[in-house]
Amino acid sequence: MSALKSIKSLMVIEYLLTFLVIISINFALPRMMPGDPFLHFSGAMDEVVSFHSKAQIQYFREHYGLDRPVHEQYLTYLKQLAAGDLGFSFYYKDNVSAIILRRLPWTMFLVISAMGFSIILGTILGSYSAWRRNKWQDNALYTILIIFSEMPAFLVGLALLIWLSAGLGLFPLAGAVTHFGSHNNAWEKALDILHHAALPVFTLTLARTGGIYLLVRSSLSTVLTKDYMKTARAKGLKEFRIRYVHALRNALMPLFTRVAIQLGALLGGAILVENVFSYPGIGVLMRSAVVVRDYPLIQGIFLVLAIGVMAANMLADLAYKYLDPRTRPAASGKHVTIQLPAKVQKGETS
Amino acid sequence: MRTMKIIPNIKSVWYNLNISGKIAALILILLMIMAVFAPFFSRHPHHRSSGPPLEPPGLTHLLGTDELGVDIWAMICFGSRVSLAVGLGTALLAGLGGGIIGMFAAFKGGWVDRFFMRLIDIMIALPNLPVMIVLAAFFGPSLLNIIIVLAFFSWSTTARVVRSGALSLKEQPYIKMAAHYGAGPLYLLRKHFIPELLPIIMVSMVRLAGMAIVTEASLAFLGLGDPTSRSWGLIINHAVNFRGIYFTEFWKWWLFYPWLFLTLLVTSLALLGRDLERIADPRIGK
Repeated sequence: MSALKSIKSLMVIEYLLTFLVIISINFALPRMMPGDPFLHFSGAMDEVVSFHSKAQIQYFREHYGLDRPVHEQYLTYLKQLAAGDLGFSFYYKDNVSAIILRRLPWTMFLVISAMGFSIILGTILGSYSAWRRNKWQDNALYTILIIFSEMPAFLVGLALLIWLSAGLGLFPLAGAVTHFGSHNNAWEKALDILHHAALPVFTLTLARTGGIYLLVRSSLSTVLTKDYMKTARAKGLKEFRIRYVHALRNALMPLFTRVAIQLGALLGGAILVENVFSYPGIGVLMRSAVVVRDYPLIQGIFLVLAIGVMAANMLADLAYKYLDPRTRPAASGKHVTIQLPAKVQKGETS
Repeated sequence: MRTMKIIPNIKSVWYNLNISGKIAALILILLMIMAVFAPFFSRHPHHRSSGPPLEPPGLTHLLGTDELGVDIWAMICFGSRVSLAVGLGTALLAGLGGGIIGMFAAFKGGWVDRFFMRLIDIMIALPNLPVMIVLAAFFGPSLLNIIIVLAFFSWSTTARVVRSGALSLKEQPYIKMAAHYGAGPLYLLRKHFIPELLPIIMVSMVRLAGMAIVTEASLAFLGLGDPTSRSWGLIINHAVNFRGIYFTEFWKWWLFYPWLFLTLLVTSLALLGRDLERIADPRIGK
């Protein structure tokens, strides 16, 4: 068991190093940037207008601690981060972490519901396809889902916005709730929120379902050829039990890591789709932060997104090691765990 | 001799493509011709006004004009060059870089391999678009910057595929024989590894090109693209940011046609890439 434990702790160390790399990049970026932040600081939008005198700039440098040695700056930066302080947004005049926390729920709402729907839909369609492998239903589903999953989400979103919202007026054009509208009760408010979220969630779901469908389809097809399926049939188990308890459960194992790996792509899609539908999440915030050159805010958002995605990956990796009976630490004495060399395990997860 | 070998290869690849792959390849060839001969296809200039603003499609302006009276068909013709440059540039840089790193890691093995695998894992898991947005915001969005950054962040998938290909090649009996007979690493690379792995690299380059074009278009759509290059994403960005465009008829040509071309290009590249992957590696897909 000690070998397994050491693999696990090695993995955690590797992830910690990754976090440190991300944080360091985030620290280095504004210091590597061409130009001086205080020049932009004083200009509106894209113009560079310096209203500051030399003495003022000197004051700012001292105020932000930019006149101290780099390693000292780095340590202060780490200390601030550890305290959850992401800096101060000079456009919104508020703490970056507070702004992000206000916007994050909307993005999480989109991402989590899209992920849930695409997993459900992908699993259902994928298993349907696997059981009808190479029949026309399988071929038709395969073609349609591949085309939809290869189309960039924001282009699909634009088409849906034009067609369903602008053309037919079925869905709102922008926002997450109706502004200046009065909701009589919580139920109406919830309906309004769902109505606004419908198209963004649908767009993201459409973009993600294809990948999950393919994975379930191929892994279920392999499982169906395994000997234990024959055993299950020979035991006279009901078809339902064979399909959903024996086959699908084993086929869903790879899904776990795949979903975590694709989280980054899903977030990227969400950023764009939010901008298509003017949905007030992190994506729209990031874009407006870039437009007004609010560097602390841009960095804060990047840090939150990157660390979030990497943390999800780490959890999935650890959970996978636990869930997979071949790599699970033995719970009882009679449970025999075959120890695989590290290389094989890596290959298994990828 | 080399070229003689490649031509029948192209032929056999063409015969092995699915219908979707064939259609995609045809669309791509048409779009490439459009990009190369852009000046011959458009009567109007693509960078300045040539008629009344917001004119619907007609005989003089095939696909209408935008808010400044610039011909949209001309902009689409020339915009294809931007997409092509970004796709080709990134694919070449990242394909070669990823290929070299993948082969190097497989060859060296041990700690070098482990380091690169870890790096690849990180690169794949890093959310690409936020990184691109941050870098575009900090370093300015010139087309060259976009290509370099894209290449820097997308070599990882190629490296992973090439590495696993090289690892399985390393175990082949004939390679071991060659090594036993005294073939040096350079000889092995030149005679066996590079020719054998080239198809994999080419296929992943198609993928890379598609990904790069989508990312450039996404950045331009967000208003972070190179403002001096009129890419399709930038046309879409201008159209979408036109106040109240959804309450007018303008989107029917101003937004729709760039959208259509971009979708065609990106989807064709992805479908072709998927089909080529299937041919190059029979284990993937159907």
